[in-house]
Amino acid sequence: MLQSTDGHASSHFVTSAGKRSAISMKSILSFVVAAVLAFTIFSCSKTEVDSIDPNGTGGLTLEFDNYVGGTNMALGTAQYKNTAGESFTVTTFNYFVSNIELTKEDGTVVKVPNSYYLVREADPKSLNVALTGIPQANYAKVAFTIGVDSLKSQAPVTERTGALDTGSYGTDNMYWSWNSGYIFMKLEGISPASTISGKAFQYHIGGYGGGFQGAARTANNLRKITLSLGSTSAKVRAATTPTVHLIVDAAKALGGTNTISFATTPTVHSPALAKPIVDNYVNMFVVDHVHND
Amino acid sequence: MRLVRKVLRVVMVCTLPAGISSCSNQSEVALDTPAFTVPKNFPAPVYALDRNRITAAGVELGRMLFFDARLSRDKSISCAECHSQPYAFTHHGHDVSHGIDNRVGTRNSLPIQNLAWSNSFFWDGGVLDLDLVPVAPIENPLEMDETLYNVLEKLRKDSTYPKKFKAAFGTEEVTTARFLQALSQYMLTLVSANSRYDKYVRNEGVTLTADELAGKQLFVQKGCANCHAGELFTDNKFRNNGLSLAFGTDLGRGRITEAPQDNYTFKVPSLRNVGVSFPYMHDGRFRTLEAVLDHYAEGVTETPNLDPLLKQNGRLGIPMTAGEKAQIIAFLKTLTDEEFLKNPQFIQK
Repeated sequence: MLQSTDGHASSHFVTSAGKRSAISMKSILSFVVAAVLAFTIFSCSKTEVDSIDPNGTGGLTLEFDNYVGGTNMALGTAQYKNTAGESFTVTTFNYFVSNIELTKEDGTVVKVPNSYYLVREADPKSLNVALTGIPQANYAKVAFTIGVDSLKSQAPVTERTGALDTGSYGTDNMYWSWNSGYIFMKLEGISPASTISGKAFQYHIGGYGGGFQGAARTANNLRKITLSLGSTSAKVRAATTPTVHLIVDAAKALGGTNTISFATTPTVHSPALAKPIVDNYVNMFVVDHVHND
Repeated sequence: MRLVRKVLRVVMVCTLPAGISSCSNQSEVALDTPAFTVPKNFPAPVYALDRNRITAAGVELGRMLFFDARLSRDKSISCAECHSQPYAFTHHGHDVSHGIDNRVGTRNSLPIQNLAWSNSFFWDGGVLDLDLVPVAPIENPLEMDETLYNVLEKLRKDSTYPKKFKAAFGTEEVTTARFLQALSQYMLTLVSANSRYDKYVRNEGVTLTADELAGKQLFVQKGCANCHAGELFTDNKFRNNGLSLAFGTDLGRGRITEAPQDNYTFKVPSLRNVGVSFPYMHDGRFRTLEAVLDHYAEGVTETPNLDPLLKQNGRLGIPMTAGEKAQIIAFLKTLTDEEFLKNPQFIQK
């Protein structure tokens, strides 16, 4: 059985076949043969996906492609406009992606253990999150948390390694030392509308809902994002490492549910104040397409 | 015999669940230093000692770091600058502490003592794990104004530190966790439990004067012990003790939780060594214990979230006569621990 591995080729195939539904069996057969031939010749991706080894594992890559509206993100130079009509440039765009879950076509959920990644626009390597040891299957959904869960936010220092190493950030800090916790999302830039020094704006979003002795807890800005992979499932096999290409629109953090103005809110540095941005940024991730190669 | 004991301890440590993974590294570390013991009159520590086993080499490394000005951006100030031993590791005489470039902080530095019994840190409890405490002053622009990343890089390039890390943790690798754990190990050894009061309650042949004993009784009767509770002389809670807002509107715990009911509440500080840790309150507004007791007697102001214990039967504050105040102060001074304030082990040689 031949399986299409390319989303576009696959959808053309279905549409074309549908138009010919009233035509004779012979015609259909010859069309199928032609389509298969054309597909085989013109498709640049691999046409065969090996079968699932029920005990086997493979890899899957999440590619985070940062945009501002319809325009690719370029730090420092590119001019953008927010929904308040204020122009701006972006100097920093970082976020934590954690607790990744993949849902198989049959609904089984696979949790990727100890998955904590820091995506930084300034660090191209970080834009591709390569997961390994994933059970071979066809996956229909991906889910993750923006930020660092409360358990890990309170974990011993010896368990804070990799992206969670508080000593690894340097001047591009992703950790609040005065109110212990990670900065889940950081969006900084320059806007003529800003009212603070250097016309800067700084949005540092954190807050894991930490509590203490039954007293008030800090705001909980942890959000889980669940995304369908659409018509093309991610087919994890021994020799196939699918890439889920996500478009991440930073402009959505600034508008949508709540309009964020650089003039009225040039900085956010605490959990409760961050909520309007959190309510926006839950909508900034979209799955664009899946490559099974 | 000494060797046998040492080997036995290695075996014991290695059989502990927490010690298993790091067993091979830790076995080289000197083990026969009782740097941390729980005083007889103290409760069980809350710090997870099994996660960061205190060793002589770890304490030595932590002490070196505590006294090392390289932890600040321009190598001008160390932790010890604002945490000076003769004043119970506070910034002697400063209302609010002074940091780098003579920048002025917003709060009075708290004593560093008995931290193994504390479950929150700083006046606002913004940090809940001792191991994460040093990151705050290092990265605060008004204090050491440095990044933790740069500090570790400086230590890695140093000729001595990697060897010290090896002695403490088994290899020369300088990591965030090791750096922080070494500082914790040193700070955990700063136990103050040998004041005249301690020796009195432990029946170690010390007697208190009549005034001190009367003060001890008043301390309970007047309700001081409701908040300054137990042998640590704090309930570790956050309370608004009715300070007027004339000296600023620091939200205290409210800054952390952003919850209105926490505004103007601050951590109840321990009263151990209170006789030498002046000035008092989060902003250091009171220079003397007399001024503090005058505040509780006549100065309590009804600000939002005032602790109900300071407004009983419609009266603000705690009624005290001049004689009662003097006796309470006499008692508080029995909490001064000269051995702690002068212990040469705590100083970098």
